[in-house]
Amino acid sequence: MTANKTSKFIEIQGVEQTFKTKKGDFPALRDIHLTVAKGEFVALIGHSGCGKSTLLNLIAGLAMPTAGTLICANREIAGPGPERAVVFQNHSLLPWLTCFENVYLGVERVFGAGSKSTGAASENKSQLKARTDAALALVGLTPAAQKRPGEISGGMKQRVGIARALAMEPKVLLMDEPFGALDALTRARLQDELLAIVQKTESTVVMVTHDVDEAVLLSDKIVMMTNGPAATIGEILKVNLPRPRNRVELAEDRNYVHYRKAVIDFLYTRQGHVEKAA
Amino acid sequence: MNAFIRVIEYWVPTADKSLLEFGGAMFGNANRFAAATRSLCFGKGEGLPGQAWEQGRPIVLRQLGDSYFRRAKAAEADGLTCGIALPLYKGTALTAVVVIFCGDDAQSAGAIELWRNDPQENTDLSLADGYYGLTGDAFEFISRSIIFRRGSGLPGIAWEKQAPVFLENLGKGSGFLRADGAVKVGINRGFAIPCAAQDGSNVVMAFLSALATPIAQKLEIWEPASNPTDTENPAIECTFCFAEAMPESQTIHYQVRSHGARALIEQAFASGVPAVHAPMIAIPVAPQGKVTAVMALYF
Repeated sequence: MTANKTSKFIEIQGVEQTFKTKKGDFPALRDIHLTVAKGEFVALIGHSGCGKSTLLNLIAGLAMPTAGTLICANREIAGPGPERAVVFQNHSLLPWLTCFENVYLGVERVFGAGSKSTGAASENKSQLKARTDAALALVGLTPAAQKRPGEISGGMKQRVGIARALAMEPKVLLMDEPFGALDALTRARLQDELLAIVQKTESTVVMVTHDVDEAVLLSDKIVMMTNGPAATIGEILKVNLPRPRNRVELAEDRNYVHYRKAVIDFLYTRQGHVEKAA
Repeated sequence: MNAFIRVIEYWVPTADKSLLEFGGAMFGNANRFAAATRSLCFGKGEGLPGQAWEQGRPIVLRQLGDSYFRRAKAAEADGLTCGIALPLYKGTALTAVVVIFCGDDAQSAGAIELWRNDPQENTDLSLADGYYGLTGDAFEFISRSIIFRRGSGLPGIAWEKQAPVFLENLGKGSGFLRADGAVKVGINRGFAIPCAAQDGSNVVMAFLSALATPIAQKLEIWEPASNPTDTENPAIECTFCFAEAMPESQTIHYQVRSHGARALIEQAFASGVPAVHAPMIAIPVAPQGKVTAVMALYF
């Protein structure tokens, strides 16, 4: 990867998030400070309810923080934007459209006529089609382009979701447990594909996950969050494994094993009381 | 001393503040090193104490030989291989430089880590330097990969509390992130103190040691009484005490000694200068130029 991973691309400064509930205020996040460099792959990991998805939603601009500031590419995050694409666990595809049309919809919205999102001149239909085809090819879905979501597997649907996000050429790819609903083999294959795609596109990625192996395999940095309420960042593990990464080779890599154990230690020794209480 | 810390000495500024002169020490069995020490003085930048004085922050010198360390031969003769210098301040005035020495023989499983945060740059506490002796690569590897936040992990807790923190058993879900690796290499005790640094950074020094060579035979933390009547010169009380398992007779002996040591501990708290009376040394903890606690180490 050639991207400069030292510059601050996403900056989260003193962020807090408190939700109003019937029982009163619920402090979800407190004192969140984090920087993500351009081209960096960051995993957010922690127990359920620790605010990982809340933090991701704040970066996506889908929610505004109670306190603090979020900055992306030197601009304050004031709402959703095409420079920050989100891939959800639920792929959120429109069932009556083909894979191609699902991706094209997003592409047209960002780059098509009437779009004001990028500031660039709008593209014609053949350019939009070329973008869509390229995105589907990137995730290996060219053969399934004309199929509807109901005709393809869960893994393929998730790949359409990733293609849709990547087609918008986002500066940041935000992924909320993108492979959480998939079986283990499909998940492994998609993780490998994501590794290759990120390597190629040099994307900046922030991914929420529960999966320790996924976090170590994919990330440059693992942000480990304390238990909620009022969760915050406890520790950050820098993963200095060379890229490209191969899951089979890494399985026996002692550094990989050390990283894995460090995350497990954090989750199950230090923050394990969630499980014990359950 | 049958402890991970083999020698502790401290150096104090001369009356004209031009040099550091010998203030006191616990030399244990390091007789040759003791003989080479007492008559020395250090200018700013000279030797390990002078370097800490000049740089205004704690220093870990992992190899005493082939360095600016002035007593390398004597240290080697007594099996001392690593030195850690810790400058102490009252306000901005240097009150002393404490230097701690460890060995790396087969019995000395342990590690010393220096964690640092630069508030101008980020909110992270990351490893600035470390001495890992015989603890093995795995433990050091993870230490160098991890970043703590304020209040998290042993160094992060010491940073947040601005007070010494002692973890008796690192392997039992004690709040020590690297527990698994630590237990594997025999480390089970952890002790961290916030340190002063003149460059505005936050520094925490962590000592990690094994049962066979504990940090000290007994460790006390003395802090201002919770409801002091005199806020200018608050009374201090022992807020934490941990003694390694030892014969009953020794335990009583230690208690008696501890009682007698109180005056020295109060002196260290008031002056910001360590005080020693074998087998106890009282070291002020003054992370922001103000003494917040005194740690009393018994060997």
